[in-house]
Amino acid sequence: MSDEVKNKNSLPSPLTSRPSPLLSMFLRSFFIQAGWNYERLQNLGFVFSLMPALRRIYADAPRGVHGSPEPDVVQGAPPRRMVGQAAPEAFKSAVLRHLTVFNTQPYMTGFVIGNVAKMEEGLALRLRSGQAGRENSEVLEKNMQGIKQALASSFASIGDRVFWGRLKPLTTQLCIVVWLGAGFYGWLFTGAMSEVPVAVLFAGPGLGMAVYGAFAVYLRWVGLKKGYACGGGGNCGLDAMDWRKLIRRLSLAGFSLSLIIALAAFALLIEFNRGLVPAGDLALKIGLVLSVLAVHRLARKFGRSIFFAIGLILAASIVLFSVLKLPGFDIG
Amino acid sequence: MLNALITSLFAGLLQLDNVQVGQCLLSRPAFAGPLLGWLNGCPLEGARIGLLTELIYMDFIPIGGVVPPNGLVAAATAVLVRTWAGLPESLAFFIGIFAGFLYSDVEYRLRAARSRWNAKIEAEVTAGVINIERWLAGSLLMESSVTGAYIFVFSALVFIPTVFIRLSGLYTAMDFAYSLMPWLGLSGLYFRFRTQVYKK
Repeated sequence: MSDEVKNKNSLPSPLTSRPSPLLSMFLRSFFIQAGWNYERLQNLGFVFSLMPALRRIYADAPRGVHGSPEPDVVQGAPPRRMVGQAAPEAFKSAVLRHLTVFNTQPYMTGFVIGNVAKMEEGLALRLRSGQAGRENSEVLEKNMQGIKQALASSFASIGDRVFWGRLKPLTTQLCIVVWLGAGFYGWLFTGAMSEVPVAVLFAGPGLGMAVYGAFAVYLRWVGLKKGYACGGGGNCGLDAMDWRKLIRRLSLAGFSLSLIIALAAFALLIEFNRGLVPAGDLALKIGLVLSVLAVHRLARKFGRSIFFAIGLILAASIVLFSVLKLPGFDIG
Repeated sequence: MLNALITSLFAGLLQLDNVQVGQCLLSRPAFAGPLLGWLNGCPLEGARIGLLTELIYMDFIPIGGVVPPNGLVAAATAVLVRTWAGLPESLAFFIGIFAGFLYSDVEYRLRAARSRWNAKIEAEVTAGVINIERWLAGSLLMESSVTGAYIFVFSALVFIPTVFIRLSGLYTAMDFAYSLMPWLGLSGLYFRFRTQVYKK
């Protein structure tokens, strides 16, 4: 075993020793997007989340406002190197280091925070034991920034696909399924005024939120622990799950639910109108629904957003009913 | 008016969940709609407005610096316009959709304004004053109050003209267009997953 490894092993790991700041970092990671700005994106939230680790690593770091600058600190001057220096100067340098650009998917942020905390710990140990010279520490810091940005991009890509692209729409589908199951069809037939218990109205979105929230909180916590455990590696945490398989399964689940909901909606449309309206009216209703689908499909094909389809529908409706004064008609 | 003020403030608090804190989906329109509707005595309309807003806005994904239309603002404005101005649910829904669409520009400006904070925070840290919490608290307060104020003012701007102008000529057209919205939303849901499944 090399001297360096022996020395490192002989020092206690500050972040795992009690009381561990990992819980505080986890709770703070819920604020990762607080202060989101166009210049550096999530940098403020990232520093806020990492702060408990930095305070622990640079043990004598200040807490909260520390309004007495050191005599040799010049306002606006670049941070000094921390070779052989004790905190808080090293703490300030660490804070400034992480005020740079940072952006990732908010639920995946734990992986990056844990990793960076581990790298900061390693850097501080080297500095304290005098093993890192000025140039060496610069290389370590550059390496840390490189790994941080690489991980942030990778997890942003995964997280966007898992959460924004699939899980969030799935929660909407769950809401519809619950409402359908509980007999609330008012979301589909906007002209219908059915009596529904308020609990049902909240159970729909509530179920999706519970599933989504549980997975998001789990990933935040597991990501933080895994990131800290394997900190320093450029692919750290990326193997925490079989993301590809998860994404594929979520897509299939979402697509299947979409088909089920669409079929159920058409079945309800026919069932609710059969015998109550003339066959011609029912055919007109189904034709109108299919026209809406066609308009949306065409809008997508020509790169237009859903607002284009809404605009067309509104314009046609105003012409038909407000200008030409046709008698009132709606789908449900 | 007091109810409108309370609803706006409450919506402003919920907005924090949208971007700044947690993202636990408390601000999703399908939840905020029935909640704000319930506060205003119309949970059913709130639920319907909320879900349809969510389906319509699903077309937009908040990736990177993209500011999508704000579903919470849309649902809250629609509920307030429905209850405060007394407009039909259909017209209130479309007004809400428009309010949420316009709000993305307000949010863009808020984010751009916060960019200026970076230099100040760096100067503070360099001088030994480390208080990121204060800046973040300011950011939360700013976001929440601007959203609440926007919803209140937008709803008031709709409410005041309706005292003098009769919009009843539009009601039939709006009801018809509104009855097509669930189908438009469902097609969005279908296309979203279809693209993913068939993507090479």
